Parts: sequence; structure tokens; C-alpha cells
Amino acid sequence: MKPGRFLHRSLKVDWLFLGVTLALMVCGVSLVYSATANAETPVYESFWFKQIIYFLGGCLLATGIVFLKIDWLKRLSAPLYIVSLVLLCIVLSSVGDVTKGAGRWIDLGFFKLQPSEFAKIAYLLTISYWLSNHPVSLHKIKTFAVPFLLFIVPFALVLKQPDLSTALVFIAVTYVAFFFAGLTLTDMFLLASPVLSVLFSHSQALVFQVLWGLLICAVVFALVRRRLPKILTVLFLAMNILAGYASSMAWNMLEPHQQKRVNTFLDPMSDPLGDGYQVLQSLTAIGSGGLTGKGFGQGTQTNLAFLPEEHTDFIFSVLGEQFGFAGCFFILVLYGIFLWRASSTCKMFTDPFITLITMGACTIFLFHIIVNIAMTVGLMPVTGLPLPFLSYGGSFAMTCMVLVGGILCMRYQGNRQ
Amino acid sequence: MFNIQDNEGIQTRNWNVLVFMAAVIILFTVLLIRLYSLQYTHYDENLQRSENNRLRRVELVAERGFIYDRNGEILVRNRPSYQIALQSMHLPRKKEARDTIFNRLLHIVDKDGVRLFDSLSLDTAFQRTKWIKNRPIRILEDASPEQVSIIEEHSSELPGVVTLIESRREYPYGTLASHVLGYTSEISEEQLKLPAFAEYSQGDRVGQKGLEQGYDTEFRGTNGMKLVEVNASGREVGQVKGVESRAPVPGLHLVSTIDLKLQEAAEAAIPDSVKGALVAIDPRNGEILAMVSSPRLDPNIFSLKKRERNRGWAQVALDSMRPLTNRAISGLYTPASVFKLATAGAGLESGILSESKYYPKPCTGGYQYGARYQKCWGVHGNLNVVHALRLSCDVFFYQAGLEIDMTRINEFARRFGYGEVPLGIDIPGEKGGWLPDSISFNQRNKRLGWRWARGLILNLSIGQGQLVTPLQQATFIGSLATNKGVYRPHFMKELRDRQGNVVRRYEPEIIRPGTMKPSTHRVLLAAMDSVVNHPGGTGKRGALPGIRVGAKTGSGEWKKGEKTHAWYAAVAPLYEPEIAVAVILEAAGGGGAKAAPIARKVMMAYFGIEEEEANKK
Repeated sequence: MKPGRFLHRSLKVDWLFLGVTLALMVCGVSLVYSATANAETPVYESFWFKQIIYFLGGCLLATGIVFLKIDWLKRLSAPLYIVSLVLLCIVLSSVGDVTKGAGRWIDLGFFKLQPSEFAKIAYLLTISYWLSNHPVSLHKIKTFAVPFLLFIVPFALVLKQPDLSTALVFIAVTYVAFFFAGLTLTDMFLLASPVLSVLFSHSQALVFQVLWGLLICAVVFALVRRRLPKILTVLFLAMNILAGYASSMAWNMLEPHQQKRVNTFLDPMSDPLGDGYQVLQSLTAIGSGGLTGKGFGQGTQTNLAFLPEEHTDFIFSVLGEQFGFAGCFFILVLYGIFLWRASSTCKMFTDPFITLITMGACTIFLFHIIVNIAMTVGLMPVTGLPLPFLSYGGSFAMTCMVLVGGILCMRYQGNRQ
Repeated sequence: MFNIQDNEGIQTRNWNVLVFMAAVIILFTVLLIRLYSLQYTHYDENLQRSENNRLRRVELVAERGFIYDRNGEILVRNRPSYQIALQSMHLPRKKEARDTIFNRLLHIVDKDGVRLFDSLSLDTAFQRTKWIKNRPIRILEDASPEQVSIIEEHSSELPGVVTLIESRREYPYGTLASHVLGYTSEISEEQLKLPAFAEYSQGDRVGQKGLEQGYDTEFRGTNGMKLVEVNASGREVGQVKGVESRAPVPGLHLVSTIDLKLQEAAEAAIPDSVKGALVAIDPRNGEILAMVSSPRLDPNIFSLKKRERNRGWAQVALDSMRPLTNRAISGLYTPASVFKLATAGAGLESGILSESKYYPKPCTGGYQYGARYQKCWGVHGNLNVVHALRLSCDVFFYQAGLEIDMTRINEFARRFGYGEVPLGIDIPGEKGGWLPDSISFNQRNKRLGWRWARGLILNLSIGQGQLVTPLQQATFIGSLATNKGVYRPHFMKELRDRQGNVVRRYEPEIIRPGTMKPSTHRVLLAAMDSVVNHPGGTGKRGALPGIRVGAKTGSGEWKKGEKTHAWYAAVAPLYEPEIAVAVILEAAGGGGAKAAPIARKVMMAYFGIEEEEANKK
């Protein structure tokens, strides 16, 4: 092999991206080790060792994916999508393993397949493929019909499981995909405005009322500027105003105990005996870490098992306690570089399919990171979303590695200008 | 942007990527601000909380509901039970320190010098503390007050060793009605996996068998929870201020239909050495007044500590007398001559039999059917239906059965409670019986190659070959006497909350039509009357002074050369029935001789007749 060819090949791999990914995996295994390790558990049964196995398996998978041709991926998207729907249906028909109430797994013997994880990837492929050939525009409402259908079926199936947090991942992916498939920033604002309306008008506080008023003004301004079809203009206005009033009306119609349940979900600290307990412990753990942390393996809160599920959903509080603000900052910087390198992959190519895939993958990562960390620091409701590369868990580790493989594949296989 | 060569499109795309990264930076900044506030601004506060105030969630277990008899006597209650346990998170983390605790525990002796812990199980428990961190691991179950005080004395030297109070079931009357009440035990791994137990968690005590299982959700109540602060050695310092604890909602009390007085009389009448069962039921609403299955077991053994519990369990589980089975609802026996009432009833209902009908062949000790000669148990001569029932003559019913045919007989029997469908009693484990006809007989005996033949009707019409439970037998005779429908037999009278308010009441429910022509009813009552009160009746040993009892005896053949199963089914007062009793004693002999006196004792208890008084008259 000529040195020039080798150089050419090596340019096709984003070494910084790869390095950051590996660094995150090493951090993840160390944290799982510090959260769960004890001298008596045999190595091959310990969580950290299993996590290494999952990552190694994931790396193999990712390497394999790098050598797939982009055309094959496009052709594979539709069949994979259908398979994922079938798997979701199977899980719904209660064949799945019933652990902790919700059936979300299919036991394959050697591996517990989580169809919703599979569906995330299949959906990303499909929606990217479709949108890369059929851009959307608010001026032509028809363009939304197929993407909406593609979205609603897996979304409803996942929601039915019930797995609200994973269902929200589907919304996030779709939302960002629309952004890269023709919508402008103003359109994005309009799409998000009803949700903001609900949030703002929920509280009776003056600040929120004023905010809501401002929001409506902004919506009107945006509508005037965009000159959308009349139906859409009316629809967006109506949705915003309705969202405001209907939400408070619906709220008043709820029974007190239902209101309490929603409140507990939104503000876990209001129920310190239930979900709030975990958040309370997590906040104490993170806060007691200080600027530099207590040191590796020295976490009193996590090591004394005050924190339930410390190695899965609440792994970030282990980090916060043992490495303090510095550790958290470091990890966030790693995530930042990771997302920056991943998103800039698409800048090298003109194929919209590549753009949509990379940005979709970035969205999945970002959504998990934000929702999980915000949960551990008490900013968001307690949901079951794991932290990419850090949380213990086979299914999600696989998903992450497949996505990493996909991003690498885009760079390796894409046609340069 | 979608025109690939379009420069503007690429610019927009790159701009959008920049927007995405800007969003990332904004969101990460928000998180960092929050982290900074937690880890710098509120650092001291959080550090102190993590050092001193260790918060722990403690589940407050709801008290299990009691079981009362119909007059308010307590049949099942709770007692406190002390558990010595290891709290993993408060054990020292250094190996040497753990070993000291281990050795200290090992050398603790009670006043007789016996060690409280054996090294093997203690070692296992210490091993398990490494896996199970969030809940205590029991090292001494159901400790005596003396053992608890010894541990408490040494508590300062034993960090991580705690005493927990649990409530366990107590059955003050021991074996009394043990099959009806059931018992509780720790939920098993298999049960935890079932969807029906989704709300249960490991270590919960759950009802097994009997009323304990049938009404487990009602007895359980809802567990509460509190947030407490514990000190460094794991002992509770106090409740966290500002956090309301969720109080447990105690389970409901069950007022059963059992009559303690009657149950005691029934238990006394059947010795534990005899296999058998007794059911006393109120035919007017299906309330079960007493139910005995012998031999019995003592449900208290399931509340004892593991070693004693296992010993007790091994004893009952391996006993060849099968004391675990509730024979009254799941024992299947041939109904024997009691079934002749169904044959007679079907005949009278269809007009084939009447009080004035005599069959051409009198009873000469047997009946020739084809090549077969079927014997009768005596020589009775020429009889009508009332006489035939009184003397329990087989020859009469051979001829009657052939004429009436099984379809009619089985229809009548099902109408009054017999049959394959269980009666739906509110405790688990009830079995349905079997009323064979040509189709079901061939189906069931296909493998054996037996075929239905008309000759089988001879056996079936005198009740040899069907299967019934004692519960069905009591229900049958009771509803026959009332002629007002078959009520679902049940044990639950009322469910009450702690304040004594009735939460739920059992509504009597008719499950089978259970009615016949008044003329049929009259003849059957006359026959039941003469079985007991005629000097020649087979059940005369069941008679009571002052109360008119109607009954039918039976002697079920089950194995050649063995004594017959003794059956006796009675109802009293015959013309205004209040109580129906069915008794079976396995391999005891004739029903009139062995089973009737037992039912008589139960009825005496019901009507408040003393023994001397009864013998005088």
C-alpha cells in the first residue's frame, strides 16, 4: 500500500471523534466500577466487566457498520422500519418480559432485546431517507403527511408500552429532522410554541402570564413574517391560545389525586417519599462532591447505597460526588466535543441523507444527555433515560455504538466534493 | 438545500448545524450553572447532609386484618415478632471490623449457654450483605424477648445489627378450622413473577390457602412510608422534619360465617386419626357454619422461625394422611346412597315414579340384569319410593334408574348443586365433581378402553361411580329441603374497617335453579323424614329430640375388601331448614352407624341441646 493511499484513508476517519468516544467509554466503565465494585463479586459477574463486554461488542458492531455502503443503508431503511414495528407489537402483546410492571424486553436468551432501542435506529434511517428525497415546507402542508405517518406509528406503540421518555426521543428526532429538511428557525419556533404555551400558562404567577403574553405576540409576529397559508396561520394561533386556556381548564377538571400525580412527576421534590427520594439523595451526593470531589471510590452517599439505581440512571451523581464540579465539567466538555465532531461530519458532504442521519444521531445523544443530567440535578422529572456511554446497560450501549458507527460510516463512505 | 449543487442550500445547512451547536452550548451552560450552585454555593449544606443526616426510607407495613367468627370471636389475629437483622450499609467496611462483629455475634449465648447464631448461617448472611445493600438481612427470625434484650444490651458493640418488629399471624385455636383459615408465608420467587402479584415485593407475607389467600388483598391494606434520619451505626435518630410520613392503611377485618361453637363441636366429633370431612351450611343463604377436614394442620407453624417451620412443614407435607388437602372442598368421593335422593327426585319430577308405584320385581337380595346379578345390601321385599329411600334398597333404584335414564337423573342432580362446575366458594382449591353419562364416560375412560354400557346405570342410580365433594353433598341436601334455589356457599359475611364500619357485605347469590314440583318436594321430605325418624330407617342414630331431622345415609364402596366410606347428609328442622350437614369418614363403615352420630353432635350444638337431655328422651 502506498503511503499516500493510507493517508487518504486515514483522513476519512475522524480521529478526534473516535478518541472522545473512547474516553467517554473509559469514564463510563470506571464510574460503573466505582459505583458497584466490591472485592467479593467475581470479575466476570460484575457490572463493570459486563459493561466492558457490551462496549467491545458495540465496537465490533460499529466497525462493521463503517463498511456498509450508504446506498445499502437507504435500501435497508424500509425493511428495518417494518421489522421494528413488528417487534414493538410483539412486546405490546405481552410476550415480553414483565419486569417492574412494564413489558419492554424480548428475551433472546443471550440478550434481552429492547425493541424501542431498535426502533429508534430504524426510525432515524427511515425518516432521514424519506426527508432526504422529500423536503418539507410549511407552505405545502401535504409534505408533512408521510413523515407524520412514519412518526406516529412507532411513537404510539412506544407510548403504549408505556415508555414516555423513549417516546419523547422520537419527537426530538422528528423535530430536528424537520429543521434540517427545509424548515426555518421561525418555523421551528412556531412548531414549539404550543408546548411553550402550555408551560407558561400552567402557572397563575404574574411572571408566567407576562411571558405567555410575550409568547403570543412573538407567534403573531412570526406568522406575519412567514406569510403561511391561512389555515396554518389560524391553526397556530388557535393552538397557542387553546393550549393556554385548555390546559388550565383540563387541569381544573382533574381529580385532586391526579393533579398530585402530575405535580409529583413535574416536581419530584414535592414527594420526598417517592421519586423525590432518589432526587434528594442524588442532589446531596452531587452537592457534597464540591469543586473537586471526594476522590475515586470515596463516595459515601453512593457507596453506602443510599442511591438506588446508582449505576444506571443516576450514574451522573456518582460522577458528581467523586469528581465534583471539575469532573462534571470535564465530562460535559467531552460530550460537547463529541457532538461538535459528530455534527460537523455532515459539513463535508452535500447528500442530505448524510446530514439528516448525523444530525438525527446527534439529537438522540443530546436528548439523552440533557434529560438524564437535568433529572439527576433536579431540573426535570424523573424519567428512565440513561446517560450515553456512562450508564450501565447493554441495550443502550449497543444503540450508542450503532449510532457512532453510523456517523463514522457517513464520513468514511460519503462522496466528497 | 436539497439541490445538491446548490451553494445556498449548503450554506443554510451549515448555518443550521451551527444553530444546533449553539443550542448544545446553551443547554450545557444551564446544567453547569445548576451544578455550580449545588457544588459550590450549597456545598457546605450538602456535605453536612451527606456526613451527618443520613436519610433513609422506611416502609411502614400495614397491619393485616383479623378473621372473626359470625358472633365476633377472634379466629385469627396478629402478634409482634422480633427479627434480628444485619443492615449492610451500617456495617463497618473494613474486613477486620466486620470479622469482630461476626465473632461477637457468634459468641453471644442465652442464659442456658446456647449460642443464638450458628456460624454457617451467620456467615451466609454476612456474605449476602455484600450483594444486598438496601434492605436488612435477617439473621434471627422470630426472636424471643430474651434474645432481643441480649442483642439490645450489646447494641453499642454491634454496629449494623438491628432489631426489627414484624407482625405475624397467630391462630389462637390452633388446628381449629385450619383448612378454612389457611396460613401466611413469605412470598415465593415464583409468585413474585406472576402478574397477579405485581404489587407485592420481596419479603412480603402473603396468604396461602383458605381465607388468607382468598381475601389476601383485603387483609393486606396499603403500606405506608416514612423518611427517617439514621446515625452512623444505622440506628434511627428521628423523623425528618417537614416531610410528612405516609401512614399505612391497615387491612380489613373479615367477619366469617363460621360459628365457633359449631366448629368446635365438629372438630371434637371427628378425631384427627380419621380421614374425613364435615360441612355445615345454612341452605337459606349459602353461609358455611362449620367446615372440618381431617387430619388437620396447625397454621401457627408457618409463623415460627425457619428451622421449626421447616420441621413442621416436612411433617405435614410428607404425611401419608395428606393433612394439607382440604377434603371438604377438594376431596372427591362417590356420593353413595345419598345420590338415591337425586334418582328418586328425577323419577318423581318426570312422573315415572310416584308414591303408589311398585316395581314388578321385589327385593330378594339382588337383581338379575342380563348376565349380571347385582346384589342389594339386604332383603327388603316390595317397596315404594319412600320405603326404598328409608331402607336404602338398591334393587328398587336399579329398576327405577333403568326406567328414568341418566339424562334426567343428572339434570336433576345438577339442578341441586352436583356436577362438574365447582360451586364457587370464596376460598381457593375447590374442585368440581363428575356426573357420568354415556358421552363423558367414554371420553374419560378412552385410554382404559372402557365403553359405556346400560348396565352401568345400575351402579350410577345408587350413587356408585359419580364424584362429589362433601361441600356439594351438603349443598345438595340443603337445597333439596328448602326447594328455593341453590345459594353460592361462602365464608365471607362482612368486611369491616378498623372502626368497625361494614365495608362490604356478601350478597347471597343463587347459582343453580334448585326448585322442583311441590309434589316431588313433599315425597322427598317424607322420605328424608322416615330415614331418621322411622324405627327401621337407616339414619335413626341422627335423630334429635324436639327437632325434626331429615337425612340420607350412604356407604360408598371404593375398594374391594375395604370398609366403605361412611356418608351422612342431614338437614334440620326438616320443614323449615336452617342447617344442612354432610359428613364423610373415609373407610369407616356404614354411614348410619359411623357418620350419623357426628352430624347429630353438630346439630345439637346448633340447636343448643345438651347431651344428657338428648339421652333422657
